[in-house]
Amino acid sequence: MTALNRHRALLDFTVAALARRRVKTLALVAVFAAVVFLLASAMFFAASLRREAEATLAGAPDLIVQSLSLGRQTMIGAEAVPQLAAIRGVTGVEGRLWGYFYDRINGANYTVMVPDTAAMMPPPGQVILGEAVPRLRDFKWQGTPLFLSRREGDLVRFDIARTLGTETALLSADLILMNEADFRSFFNVPAGQFTDLAVSVRNPRELSTVVAKATIRLPEARFVTRADIARTYQKLFDWREGVMVALAFVALLAFAIFAADKASGLSAEEAREIGILKAIGWDTRDVIAMKLWEGGLISGGAFLLGTVLAYAHVFWAGAPLFAPLLKGWAVIYPEFRLTPAIDALQLGTLFLLTTLPYAAATVVPVWRSAAADPDAVMR
Amino acid sequence: MITLHGVSKTYNEGRPNEVTALRGIDLAIAPGVTVLMGPSGSGKTTLLSLVGCMARPTTGRITLAGEVISSLPERFLTDLRRRRFGFVFQRFNLIRGLSVLENVVLPAAPLGAPRAEVEARALSRLEALGLAGKARMPVEVLSGGETQRAAIARALVNDAPVLIADEPTANLDTALAHRFLDIVAGLRAEGKTVILTSHDPRIISAAPVTAVVELRDGAILQVRS
Repeated sequence: MTALNRHRALLDFTVAALARRRVKTLALVAVFAAVVFLLASAMFFAASLRREAEATLAGAPDLIVQSLSLGRQTMIGAEAVPQLAAIRGVTGVEGRLWGYFYDRINGANYTVMVPDTAAMMPPPGQVILGEAVPRLRDFKWQGTPLFLSRREGDLVRFDIARTLGTETALLSADLILMNEADFRSFFNVPAGQFTDLAVSVRNPRELSTVVAKATIRLPEARFVTRADIARTYQKLFDWREGVMVALAFVALLAFAIFAADKASGLSAEEAREIGILKAIGWDTRDVIAMKLWEGGLISGGAFLLGTVLAYAHVFWAGAPLFAPLLKGWAVIYPEFRLTPAIDALQLGTLFLLTTLPYAAATVVPVWRSAAADPDAVMR
Repeated sequence: MITLHGVSKTYNEGRPNEVTALRGIDLAIAPGVTVLMGPSGSGKTTLLSLVGCMARPTTGRITLAGEVISSLPERFLTDLRRRRFGFVFQRFNLIRGLSVLENVVLPAAPLGAPRAEVEARALSRLEALGLAGKARMPVEVLSGGETQRAAIARALVNDAPVLIADEPTANLDTALAHRFLDIVAGLRAEGKTVILTSHDPRIISAAPVTAVVELRDGAILQVRS
């Protein structure tokens, strides 16, 4: 009880001390919270991007087979399907249809796909749109049709079956999902031709063997494994994370300067107060405990505030501060909502990287003052 | 009883700005009211600091109730300071921004007594000194005399048997100086030891004073009982 009462008394004094320096305290909390906000935003954003990538990869096929001509991808014939299906370990081969459509009206490229699941397949004459397409086309009324011009110049009307949500908009914002017959008709793709083939294998560890055998059967083809896609995504995410790390580094540097400035000494008023406290019977441990409470209240409060604001910024407001980093990810910049993803380890690291240096910066000069004879401090 | 044997104090030893504030002090301070007097620079405040365990002597030893205290480690000195001594500083050194009551309870904070008990003790001290009505007010609004009484209440909140006061009437008018002497007389009646520094004739010749120690250039000139 004695220790509890002691800490309660020290905490009372600390709160009173913070309250009487409220302008300075609020300024400190604001600076600290701003640093935490920037760092936490970058962390939430990076973690969420990684989760988006993982979600995308989870649905990716084990192996994609593309036909090449003059080193460029061309349509692949259906005759490759039985050749691949005959390889031991292959459990399925599906032809995929997808391509890009350049929209002259907006200067944007849409990704047009035939979905591989019945649930996502629109009825003939209808399309399912990513959230950015109706926004770019400025569709204000429900039931507005989508007109797309074919290569021949004629306009084709599609009714909109529905629009995809913003949850996966990072990758699906510019998407148009189309029925297979409509796709073939719109792009003049003859039956028996596919953009590429998606191959699934029983045991992913045998993938390299399957690829080796498939290479013998289809020497002109290119084989893209899930690991290849993962590497591509990683590269795409890496440079974005790199920019954020640079931002975070700048913020940490600013914080370090701030902490170093604080560590360099106490104000005359603070030193005088410590002298008074020591003279009236506080010892070095009491003064340091009081300053630790002070540092804890400021840094803990600022950390909480900065983290909550960062969460709201990234997951509710869609990370507007980082918008420039996302442009170029999808051809159309999506108005997306990132799926909340918090890396507890990263958050813990951020807590340690910000609160501990602050606590040290607070305690070191206090320790120097508090360790001196009270008489010396008073003089 | 507090005794000093061959006590000297040198500041900034071995540096160009070395100053010897006290030299070879032998003194016994009995319960009652002892006044240390002398001109500025005579070593009064240094002697108070040493007796109050706020500094250590360079040479010599100090005993309190027969126990040598001058060579104790810092944490024991702190414990002595908070339990055995109460301090009233020349400028009173109340902490601005806090209320009178918050200032008075400060010496009790590290002792870990329940808050209600400490506050009751502090309010009782403030009431005895006529300040109970201003307990919740910030110290900035107090007059000079009220500030002094708040500082005395703070010095007494742990019921310390020794009160040390550095030039307590230096900033007070005659009426307030007499009020202070009344308080000192009351403390003496309670059996406490009061050690003051002063060159105020009103204090030196006052009734409650039991001993006057005259200092000059860091040495004792004479002791009058």
